[in-house]
Amino acid sequence: MDGAVIRAMALTAAAALAPVGAGAHQLVVFASVDCEAVTVEAKFSNGKVTQQGDVRVLDGANNLLTTLPLDSDGTAVVPLDSVDHAGGLVVEVDTGSHDNYWIVTPEDIARNCGS
Amino acid sequence: MVQIWKCVLAVGLVLSLGSAAAAQDRPRVVAVHQALADFAERLVGDATEVVFPVPAGVDASFWRPSIADISMIQSADLILLNGAGFATWIDRVSLPRSRLVNTSRAFEDRYIVTESITHSHGDGGEHAHEGIASYTWLDPSLAIAQAEAIAAAIVARELAAAEDVEARLDAFRSELTDLDATAQDALSGAQDVAMIATHPRYQYFAQRYSLSITSLEWEAGAMPSDDQITALGNLAKERDARVLIWEARPPPEAIEAAEALGLRSVIFEPWANDGTHYTFIEAYETAVSDISDAVSHSSN
Repeated sequence: MDGAVIRAMALTAAAALAPVGAGAHQLVVFASVDCEAVTVEAKFSNGKVTQQGDVRVLDGANNLLTTLPLDSDGTAVVPLDSVDHAGGLVVEVDTGSHDNYWIVTPEDIARNCGS
Repeated sequence: MVQIWKCVLAVGLVLSLGSAAAAQDRPRVVAVHQALADFAERLVGDATEVVFPVPAGVDASFWRPSIADISMIQSADLILLNGAGFATWIDRVSLPRSRLVNTSRAFEDRYIVTESITHSHGDGGEHAHEGIASYTWLDPSLAIAQAEAIAAAIVARELAAAEDVEARLDAFRSELTDLDATAQDALSGAQDVAMIATHPRYQYFAQRYSLSITSLEWEAGAMPSDDQITALGNLAKERDARVLIWEARPPPEAIEAAEALGLRSVIFEPWANDGTHYTFIEAYETAVSDISDAVSHSSN
């Protein structure tokens, strides 16, 4: 099973587990990491793709490291060499009407980088 | 003399370093709310550290952890979840699945679906948010099931000897069963008395004892605004309510304002967070007794 499939399953599971009813559309954010980059994915819990929004990447002290837009498929890629990720990263996604976050710890990065 | 003091200091340093190392070496159980931490402490014994990571004064349901918090939780030997949608942060981090325990999994079919709230924002149009009531442990029969899930996980992870955990579980189950019986008895005359709660925390409690509790959305422990007091008065009149349940002690002026509306106040901390000197069972017994008294007085 490749990383893309695992990410899709995790995002779908998170959307399914969100404690809201059929009419709700909470924003679900998921970030996976490998040695090269953090891949951010955002979608609404009703399955709708998040077509626009801002991705903010912060460090453990809440310092803003970078901001980038979501692509039209609801994803964004943050190259690890573009940010100081030694203390982990907080990824926030804000669509203007909804926002959510994902926390990437140093251990997540180390584990997924095979160290 | 100097030599002796050096020896004493050296021994003290060795002992303190040893105890610090021991603390770090102890297995760790993390619980998403204070009641689960209390249950785990009852069941696991002193050899394991039980951590409730949410700072005092922060709502455990909506706590946003730091990276360091998540690193600590990821390294725990056991992570006790409540289930039923409690603790939104657990869906925003990677947690080791083999060490996660959903303590309410055995009774997922008994989750209470809360009424939907229709609103609109952004370009999404009007829509409904429907949820699941999370405070399962306020029904002692469900608290027993959650304690059983914790005990099973402690044994499976070999954090304590099975026979010790079983003995502690038997004792705890017995206390919760007694608590349930006490509540059944104390609240037997309360079914016809409408109550209002300052926050939607008591759905499972109400269901267990056939109580009628309507919920507001007030901030815990805060002085309600004039508008909130007015709305409370209207609701009390509409429901003919006579008891107001607060999840945290408010300023005295708030209780006086409720009293002026004909509502007797009861503090019932649901034990999701720190903030009480009691154990869960003692806090629950006190709240049940106070509700019973409030109902009795309101009927006079």
